[in-house]
Amino acid sequence: MSAPTTAPVQRPDTPRPRPVGTVTAIRLVAQREFVTRTGDRSFLISTLVTVLIIVGVVVGPRIFGGGPASYDVAVAGDGAQALADAIEGTGRAMEVDVTAEAVTADRGAIADQVADGTYDAAVAGDEIVVDSELPTELETVLQQASRDVRIAAGLQEAGVPPEAVPQLLAPPPLTVSTLQEVDEEEASGTEGLAFFATFILYGQVLGYGFMVAGGVVEEKSTRVVEVLLSTLRPSQLLAGKIVGVGLVGLAQLLLLAVLALGTVLVTGLVELPPGAVPTIGMVFLWFLLGYAFYSCLFGVAGSLVSRQEELGNVTTPLMLLVLVGFFAAVGALNDPGSTLARVLSFVPPTAPMVMPVRVAFGEATVLEIVGAVLVTAVAAGLLVPLAGRLYTGAILRTSGRVKLAQAWRSGQEVAAD
Amino acid sequence: MLELKDLTRRYGDVVALDGLTFSVPEGSMFGFVGPNGAGKTTTMRIVMGLVAPDRGEVRWRGAPVDADTRRRFGYMPEERGLYPKMRVRDQLRYLAQLHGLDAATASREADTWMERLGIAERARDRVEELSLGNQQRVQLAAALVGAPELLILDEPFSGLDPVGVDVLSEVLLEQVAAGVPVIFSSHQLELVERLCDRVAIVAHGRLVAAGRVDELRARGHRRVRVDVADAGSDWAAALPGVRLLDKTDGSMLLELDDDVPLDGVLDHARAAGAVTHFSLVQPTLAELFREAVSA
Repeated sequence: MSAPTTAPVQRPDTPRPRPVGTVTAIRLVAQREFVTRTGDRSFLISTLVTVLIIVGVVVGPRIFGGGPASYDVAVAGDGAQALADAIEGTGRAMEVDVTAEAVTADRGAIADQVADGTYDAAVAGDEIVVDSELPTELETVLQQASRDVRIAAGLQEAGVPPEAVPQLLAPPPLTVSTLQEVDEEEASGTEGLAFFATFILYGQVLGYGFMVAGGVVEEKSTRVVEVLLSTLRPSQLLAGKIVGVGLVGLAQLLLLAVLALGTVLVTGLVELPPGAVPTIGMVFLWFLLGYAFYSCLFGVAGSLVSRQEELGNVTTPLMLLVLVGFFAAVGALNDPGSTLARVLSFVPPTAPMVMPVRVAFGEATVLEIVGAVLVTAVAAGLLVPLAGRLYTGAILRTSGRVKLAQAWRSGQEVAAD
Repeated sequence: MLELKDLTRRYGDVVALDGLTFSVPEGSMFGFVGPNGAGKTTTMRIVMGLVAPDRGEVRWRGAPVDADTRRRFGYMPEERGLYPKMRVRDQLRYLAQLHGLDAATASREADTWMERLGIAERARDRVEELSLGNQQRVQLAAALVGAPELLILDEPFSGLDPVGVDVLSEVLLEQVAAGVPVIFSSHQLELVERLCDRVAIVAHGRLVAAGRVDELRARGHRRVRVDVADAGSDWAAALPGVRLLDKTDGSMLLELDDDVPLDGVLDHARAAGAVTHFSLVQPTLAELFREAVSA
């Protein structure tokens, strides 16, 4: 085995590696993250649970109890048929589904039938019999119908011609003129939508931020990072992880949006609140911005510790920051026009959750939206090199907790290489 | 040729490396030995860019080593590391791609090395499900899978059973024959002596000795083993220029100054009694190591 003086010729069957550019390196890392994480059983299960919750929130109320109920009512006593007709008529007018039936039975028999559920309620003479509780809307219908029947009888006794009675019982209602256009239903729909958007953004930014931090610690604690960094620059590894995990978050969001919209459109059980589609678009945009901002910070936090158990210590400040954004957004839900909401919709740590709320309520001008997007994007862009340096300085220090200042100094040392 | 020049690194007050300089020629199997804490791992980590030296540089084939060069090196770190939950084949394929192989070639290389190192039937298992010995084999495959130009292996034999040692020895010799220099650290000096054509011995961050193993062994004073029946060692101790290194039963190990003729020593031995053995011996690597480190 003497030493040849020139570089030996590789065997023809030896594969020749090609140079790996930064884009390729990031793509390879991101691809591994995406494939590994989307194939992970616990991830699939948690996604499925989220899907079920969302579908449940969207269509659940219409299926279980929250929707229009129907009532069966027995009517006994004198003029039972007239009262039964009046009850059904009033029910139609008030959009309450009531079926009324005139019966000939004594109070005891009727009570038994109410108790065994044959009827939801019974009107016997001067009283309404129910098993436990009389729904407000049914009571209104029954009282109204009973009143109408008795008034009609009184009017006829007083000599009013029968054809004039309906006119007297239902005089044309007053018309309502609003000075300010407020659509109650739309307002509550917007609020629900904005809250939903806030909640989703909070969950996604925090969840995927933690996934980045956890992934960084995993590589550090298992020491695989040393093998990886013999082929990758630290900044490439961090960038690939952030991109890969972010794509998982985006894919999950897309899946949830498609399923939620699909459920609404296919079942037709609920109407899409106005502004739903733009709000969903905003959620995507602000997830990207919020994630870009926070994932850099979470990546650095992960690189500072060597064991998974220590992760909580370094991520707590970040978690609080995200929580501040969440509560600021909840505050903005109550008062979307406030100065505080306006200011916080421009501050990068809170903007991703507050701005979508203001947009949903129509409180933000296009200029403001563009401005907030730019501010957050620039802030995230500035974080990238800082995070890269801190991560670089900390990732290979596997003995205990790394201080930020230490990471900053040795980050330059390695980066100069 | 891999050249390490004047590598110096301090950790606080501790000097890990103190001007370490040596080179690894093309085509050599290079053993890197030294007591614990001598700086072997720090040296290898500097070569792989995982530690920045305070001073000094590393060159490969004449050019300073940068990230693109290192991508063509295969590396096995002292602290083993793999993704525990990733499947063996996926992991090796991924690492091969990071080294610059396309997906198809990476798969082929992963299969080749799993087969070669006897872990092919575990290809679809997660790394954490493997025994430590098999995890070690995966780690070796990870160093080999990227078609490296140079192999840097930190204690590759530790934790392997005798069969594993044989397989790895064979693989490393093949790599050297194919033109891939191998540098590895080990405390198993007999193994280093058997496999390596060159060694570097380090202690306290400094180079103690380096060069071809046969030259190192031939260097220094000649040594003679003499067995004389029924005689003490007084006759040898009386000879000028001769030192008694060791005496067990009737067998003596003598070290001779350069101007002492061999046959003169033999004559004196015969005069002392019946000579049953007389031979020139070379020190083993282990002996060289002990001398070098204790000096």
